[in-house]
Amino acid sequence: MMEALVPRMRSQGLSREPAERGRWWRPVVLGLVLSGAAGCEGTISTPEGSGPPPPAVIEKPAPSVRMARLTHVQWTHSVQELLRLDAPPTTLAGTFRADPAQSGFLFDNDARALSVDEALWGAYQRAAAELAGQVTTDAAKLARLLPPSAATGEERARAFVESFGLRAHRRPLAAEEVESYLGLYRKGPQAYADMPAFEGGIRLVIEAFLQSPHFLYRVERSTQAVGELVPLDDYEVASRLSYGLWSTMPDDALFAAASEGTLHSREGVAAQARRMLQDARSNTVVEAFHRTLFDVPRYAAIRPSLTRYPQVSERLGEYAARETTLFVQDVVFSRKGGYSDLLTSPATFVNDELARVYGLSGTFTADFVPVPLDSRERKGVLTQVGFLASHATSVDPDPIHRGVFVSERILCRKIGAPPANIPPLPAPQGRTNREVVASHTEAPGTACAGCHSNLINPLGFPFENFDAIGGYRTTDNGHPVDASASPNIYGETVQVRDALDLADALAANEVVHACYAQHWVEYLHGRPFAPEDGPLVERLGKLSKAGNLSIVDLVVEVVTSEGFVNRHPEELP
Amino acid sequence: MKLSRRMVLKGLGGTMLSLPFLEGLMPRTAHAADSGVLPFAIFFRQANGVASAQTTSEIGAEPERFWPRSLGALTSESLAGRALGVLDDHRAHLLVVRNVNMKDYNYGDGHARGALQGLTARGPVVEGAGGDSESGGESIDNRIGRELNPQQRDSLVFYAGRRGGWLGGPCLSYRSSNVRRAALHDPWNAYQTMIGGPGGLTPEAREQLLVRQRSVNDLVKAQLQALKQRPELSASDHERLDLHLSNVRDLEVALSCRMRADQELILQQEAPGYDSTDGTEVLATARLHMDIAVMAMACGTNRAAVIQVGNGNDGDTRYRDPDTGQLMENFHYVSHRRSSHDSSGGIITGSDLLHHHVDVQFANAFKHLLDRLVAYQMPDGKRLIEHGVAVWYNDLGNGPAHSPRNVPFVLAGSCNGFLKQGVYVEASGGGNPNHNRMLNTIGTAVGLRNAAGGYLDDFGDPALTKGVLSELIA
Repeated sequence: MMEALVPRMRSQGLSREPAERGRWWRPVVLGLVLSGAAGCEGTISTPEGSGPPPPAVIEKPAPSVRMARLTHVQWTHSVQELLRLDAPPTTLAGTFRADPAQSGFLFDNDARALSVDEALWGAYQRAAAELAGQVTTDAAKLARLLPPSAATGEERARAFVESFGLRAHRRPLAAEEVESYLGLYRKGPQAYADMPAFEGGIRLVIEAFLQSPHFLYRVERSTQAVGELVPLDDYEVASRLSYGLWSTMPDDALFAAASEGTLHSREGVAAQARRMLQDARSNTVVEAFHRTLFDVPRYAAIRPSLTRYPQVSERLGEYAARETTLFVQDVVFSRKGGYSDLLTSPATFVNDELARVYGLSGTFTADFVPVPLDSRERKGVLTQVGFLASHATSVDPDPIHRGVFVSERILCRKIGAPPANIPPLPAPQGRTNREVVASHTEAPGTACAGCHSNLINPLGFPFENFDAIGGYRTTDNGHPVDASASPNIYGETVQVRDALDLADALAANEVVHACYAQHWVEYLHGRPFAPEDGPLVERLGKLSKAGNLSIVDLVVEVVTSEGFVNRHPEELP
Repeated sequence: MKLSRRMVLKGLGGTMLSLPFLEGLMPRTAHAADSGVLPFAIFFRQANGVASAQTTSEIGAEPERFWPRSLGALTSESLAGRALGVLDDHRAHLLVVRNVNMKDYNYGDGHARGALQGLTARGPVVEGAGGDSESGGESIDNRIGRELNPQQRDSLVFYAGRRGGWLGGPCLSYRSSNVRRAALHDPWNAYQTMIGGPGGLTPEAREQLLVRQRSVNDLVKAQLQALKQRPELSASDHERLDLHLSNVRDLEVALSCRMRADQELILQQEAPGYDSTDGTEVLATARLHMDIAVMAMACGTNRAAVIQVGNGNDGDTRYRDPDTGQLMENFHYVSHRRSSHDSSGGIITGSDLLHHHVDVQFANAFKHLLDRLVAYQMPDGKRLIEHGVAVWYNDLGNGPAHSPRNVPFVLAGSCNGFLKQGVYVEASGGGNPNHNRMLNTIGTAVGLRNAAGGYLDDFGDPALTKGVLSELIA
């Protein structure tokens, strides 16, 4: 149905002057909301509120900062593109001190948390000197960057500053800016006495561009309000698109689109977005997003007891991470699937070790191959080894942390930390793992039961059919596994017999889909969810749940939304 | 006052040591009459408590294996057989303090409570956040850097061990509430950060670099200042711009405090697994960080350093069992006495002794730091250690119980005679939180003062009892 949506947009002739940007969504939004599903049950940001459905509102931008420093990954890709290098300068970026952790945001690109301290400034300086030296002492590399020869070195340098500068600042330079870089160019003979004057000057200029705040930060300068919005100019839109979808600076095609003014229309932006999502660079971004969302780094701590589970090795976590990467890649790009596919598809990728864990018959090698898992046992990413084994001890599954993960990452419902000094889980004494956990955490009237009985355990017990390495089991400690539960999913109590039912229940819930969309909004914007994001996220949640929105399309929706191509009229304080 | 360009350091007994030596300026001091080095502090943090006397449900009664036998003067006898016995050669410089108690803030996790409070004496920004916690204030090393370092250079914050993990890896040093300091991980990059430029250059190349850098700095500074003028910027934009702008300057001692070329080559090539989970490699990295920190203090380019070993619960590092040569379970498991990050796993046999073995390895690393500090003889004839204080401290008092009480603080060095030496003392305050007063005491020793110009007595949470621990002061 999304395919039908686009032609309808085109027929409305939505190429617009900036003045109309504020209105480009209105007819479509109303149409979708009215034709859509039943009223929502409140927004994710206030899970306990469930009043009447809110009125259809125009999707708006949220206030945000004006300057966002490039992450180290973005720096690496931007430098490769800017200097037209054959390979990304990964080693140089490796000399940058890691950005400190910042709680309260799932991803690593929160603009408010990325700063240039003394250590990073020094590293940027050294890298700039190294890179400028590399490209200006190699004629072939320099030729990729230089404009055609001119009558004088200074004329050619000016042309260079303008053309290279547009790409480095990601917008045309103002006249004063050109002059100040030219001033630096003229110091070339002093600075690099051993080089010819022209090359030495260019070298110093490139060093400066790489240290300029206009390169190191994405700076948004548009302030002119049009109605209740501040439209971003074409170059600012180009940067948001390229850093959102590719983690790099705009390529030549995107700069061309910006200079031609085609990024002022929704079709123009959508066309670029679709082009970019077909490029391999978007694969890395999509992979990085899911890597964080599914907490793949946690798989590195998977350490099963090799005596209890001789069929696996210490590399199980590494293999599970590869599986997740291939699975996501396949769903998102090969199958053009939606979030429901991530949650419910039994098809995945295995090597020989994973095949053993999944109980697959056949011959497998160290190479990863696509397989269908037994659909009576497995359904989606939550029944794959990575999630299951990374929330387990070396010998037992851990329904508590599995439940917390589902609540926080899949339902966007935060669980508070437990009180300190909790006594250990008692010895099993012949009981199943579920019985042990339930007896310990669900004693009636205790503070524990409040969270465990209602919020945590019901989302973890359905996975008791999977042991500490994610292998399927129907008995535990000699007793049959009981994987039934009645989790409360946004005001609705759902009876599930096992993880398959739970996967279906999650995939059938609009708010689960909206939670996924919310994560994308946060990731693509580099800021936490704000109330203004609510309408967009709800709309996308409905479409995704209805099976009408592939993940690729979801991403296109976010980057073509009002909130992405405009700024809020008020600044953050 | 300028000193000779080359300083050859005399080792103990007057022999030349293969140590990094100083080329260039020694720091100017406020008191020009003596050529004393300004006081400094180097913090060395271990996670997970120590193998002190305790009773655990897992092992039963565990004997005392860490602390000295008796309060008062430290002797070989009082230290023998204890983890602190490793430091016997340096006992004349030691100030071992018991009964340092942290406040039982509701961080939602004992490790967060210990690690994030350890240098800040602050509670959480958001209570009960567990692994997502942040500290509510600036750390003491950042304060020292901000107030006392030349050109307000950042204190040095080092990290050794696998990146990431519990509490996100580096979590001790804070610029301000909720704003962590980034840590230096690779020793070669850390060294270049400390000297303020690329290593491995000839003096002439260094001069040319500084000239070029000045021109670029002028352009960049102008751009940053122009950005700051823009009315639409938020407070967050201004904060980050200000921080960036403050770093665009010519470092006074840039490139003049450095190792010999051959020493630099070794540092560059060593890369002993700074991102490792092997405890031996991790502590080897910590030793390199110590070398860099000590150089910085000797040159006067910095007066505070923090060396963090392992993440929020050091749960990724596996130290080696000296009896078998094999890697133990990760240190967090060992400290829990169980094969789990909480109290649910199977008991690890002899894990109290294993914990002691880890304490001994940390003691040996601390000894390396003290050896280095003793090896530098300063122009005033004193050893560098006398001018500052090295602090080996912990997040917790012990392992399984994650106690905030009796958190080990082992100080070495007197900060120019300010701190007692050679003794084991009990901090005052009964069982009440007094850890903030430990930080006040160290801050005062290094040169910080309160608003009225008196001893620093109010660092950290304003709700805590003010003051210093006078029993530590000479």
